[in-house]
Amino acid sequence: MRNRNAPTRVVLNAAIILLTLLILMPFLWFVSMGFKSNDDIMAGSSSALFVPTLANYASLMTRGFIRPFGNSLEASLTSTLLSLVIGVPGAYALARAPLRLERPLSLLILASRMVPPIAFTIPYFLVYRYAGLLDTITGLVLIYMTFNLSLVIWLMRTFFESTPRSLEEAAWIDGASLWLTFRRVVLPLCTPAVMTTGVLCFIFSWNDFFFALTLTREQAMTAPVEVVNFMNYQGWEWGKIAASGTLILLPVFAFSLLMRRFLVQGMTAGAVKG
Amino acid sequence: MLLGPVLAVLAVITLLPTVYLFVISLTPLNLTKPGTAGDFSHIWQNYRYMLADMRLRDSLWTQVKLSASTVAFQVVLGFLAALLLNHSARVGRIVRTSLLIPMVLPPIVVAIIWKMVFSPDISPLWWLFNWFGWNVPVPITDARFALGSIVLADTWEWFPFTMMIILAALSMMPEELVEAARLDGATPVQLTWYITLPYLRGALLVAGLFRLIDSIKAFPLIYLLTSGGPGTVTEVPNYYIFVQSFNFSYVGYSSAITVVLVAMVCVLSWFIVRVVSGGDRAE
Repeated sequence: MRNRNAPTRVVLNAAIILLTLLILMPFLWFVSMGFKSNDDIMAGSSSALFVPTLANYASLMTRGFIRPFGNSLEASLTSTLLSLVIGVPGAYALARAPLRLERPLSLLILASRMVPPIAFTIPYFLVYRYAGLLDTITGLVLIYMTFNLSLVIWLMRTFFESTPRSLEEAAWIDGASLWLTFRRVVLPLCTPAVMTTGVLCFIFSWNDFFFALTLTREQAMTAPVEVVNFMNYQGWEWGKIAASGTLILLPVFAFSLLMRRFLVQGMTAGAVKG
Repeated sequence: MLLGPVLAVLAVITLLPTVYLFVISLTPLNLTKPGTAGDFSHIWQNYRYMLADMRLRDSLWTQVKLSASTVAFQVVLGFLAALLLNHSARVGRIVRTSLLIPMVLPPIVVAIIWKMVFSPDISPLWWLFNWFGWNVPVPITDARFALGSIVLADTWEWFPFTMMIILAALSMMPEELVEAARLDGATPVQLTWYITLPYLRGALLVAGLFRLIDSIKAFPLIYLLTSGGPGTVTEVPNYYIFVQSFNFSYVGYSSAITVVLVAMVCVLSWFIVRVVSGGDRAE
C-alpha cells in the first residue's frame, strides 16, 4: 500500500500468484485429465503436453450418463421452485408479523443446516419404504426441502425486513388486498433476491451426495452417485471419470463464483444476517 | 395468515423426523428382523450399549483429531491468505475469486480429485517421487497417513471459507486503528498481532465454529478416499452410523448414536447464535 516500496510489493504479488497456482494445481490437472486419452494419462510426466481429445465426453453421451444428469437437474430444480413458492410468502409474513421468534427460529434454521444428513436420512428412509418413495425423484425433492426451505425463509426474511413498508402501506390505503399487495408491490421488488436465493438452493441440491446415495438405487440416481458407481464398477477409466466430474461441476461452478458473497451468506444462514 | 402453514411445513419436514428418529432410537429396530420396530421393552438399551461400544469410542477420538486439525489448519491458512490478499488490492481481486474454487466445487468432485492425486499410477506427485527415487507409501491406504490425507483434502476444500469470512471482517476494519498504530511505530508483525488479530476475534471464532460443526458431518471425502479405513482409522461417528444403518441394518442403534450427535450439533449451533447475536449487541 502507500508506504510499501515497489520491490516488496512485486515479491508479495509474485508469492500470491505462485501460491494460488499451487493451490489450484489439483483442480486444473483434474479438468485437463478429462481431455486426455488413456495413453496420455498413463504416459507419466511427459503428458504435461498432450493433444486434447473429446473422446471421453463423447463416450459419456453414449453410455447412458445423461439420465442421472436429468435426475439431478429435475430433483434440484423442483425442490428449488417448491421451496421458493412456499418459502417466499412465508418469509414475508414472518418479516411483517409482530412475533418474537428470533432466537428459536434462527436456531431451528441453523440446526437444520448443521445437523448431519444421516439424522434426516434414517427417518425419511423408513417412511419412504412404506410410502414407496425410495428411489424416486419425489423422495429426493422432499428431503432437499429440509435445507432449501430453511434457507429460503432465512434469506428472504432478512431481505424483507430491510425493505421499507411505506410502499405496501400505500397500496393498502388504495384498497389493495394483502395478496394483491404481495403480488403487485412486494414480488417485483424482491425478484433479484428471489433469484439469488433460488440459485443457492439449486447449488446446494445439485451438490448433494449423501441423500442420493442412501435414498436412491437406480431409477432416481443422481449424477454425483453415478460417478462414484462408475468408479467402482467400470474400473479405473480416469479420463471418463474426470470428464463426468467436470460435467458435474460445470452447472454450479460459474454461478458459485459469481455469487461468492451470497454463497457464504447461504452457508452461514441462521447465524449471520445478510 | 400465511405464516401458520409455512411454519407447519417447516416443522413437518424437520422437527417431526427428528422426533421420529428419537422414537426409533428407543427400539432395537433391525430391518432384517421383523417385529423389532415396535419393541419398546428396553428403551434405554441402545444408549446403554453406546457406553460400552469401543468402536464408537474410537470413532469419537478420530473425530476429535480430525476436527481439531482441520479447524486449526483452515483458520490459520484462511487468516494468512486473507492477510496476504488484503495487502494487494489489484492482484487480490482476481486471486481471491480463483482461491474460492476448491470451496465451490461439488464435494464429490473434490473427493474424486484427491482420490486421483493419491493414485500413484496416474498422479504426477508419484512420478516425481519415483524420479527422485523415493519410495513414498500411498497415504490413503496406509494407517499412519490415512487421516492426514483426509485432513489435507478437507483443508484444501474449506480454507477458502474461513478466508472469505476473515476478508469480509478485514474490509470493515476501521482504517484509523491501523493508522494510529503505524504512527506509533508498530512493525507489521506487531500490527497484525496486537491490532488485527484482536479485531478479528469474533470472525475467527464464527468461522472456526462453522468449520467445527461441518467437520462432524464430513462424508464424501471419507467415503471415497478411505471408506473409514484402513481398518477403522478414519472412521468418524457420522461414518460409523452410516455403516451401522446401511451396511448392517442396525437402524435402532444407529438412531441412538445419531440422536447424541444431533444434540451435540444443536449445542454448538446454539453457541454460534449466542456468539453472533452477542456480537451484534456489542457493536
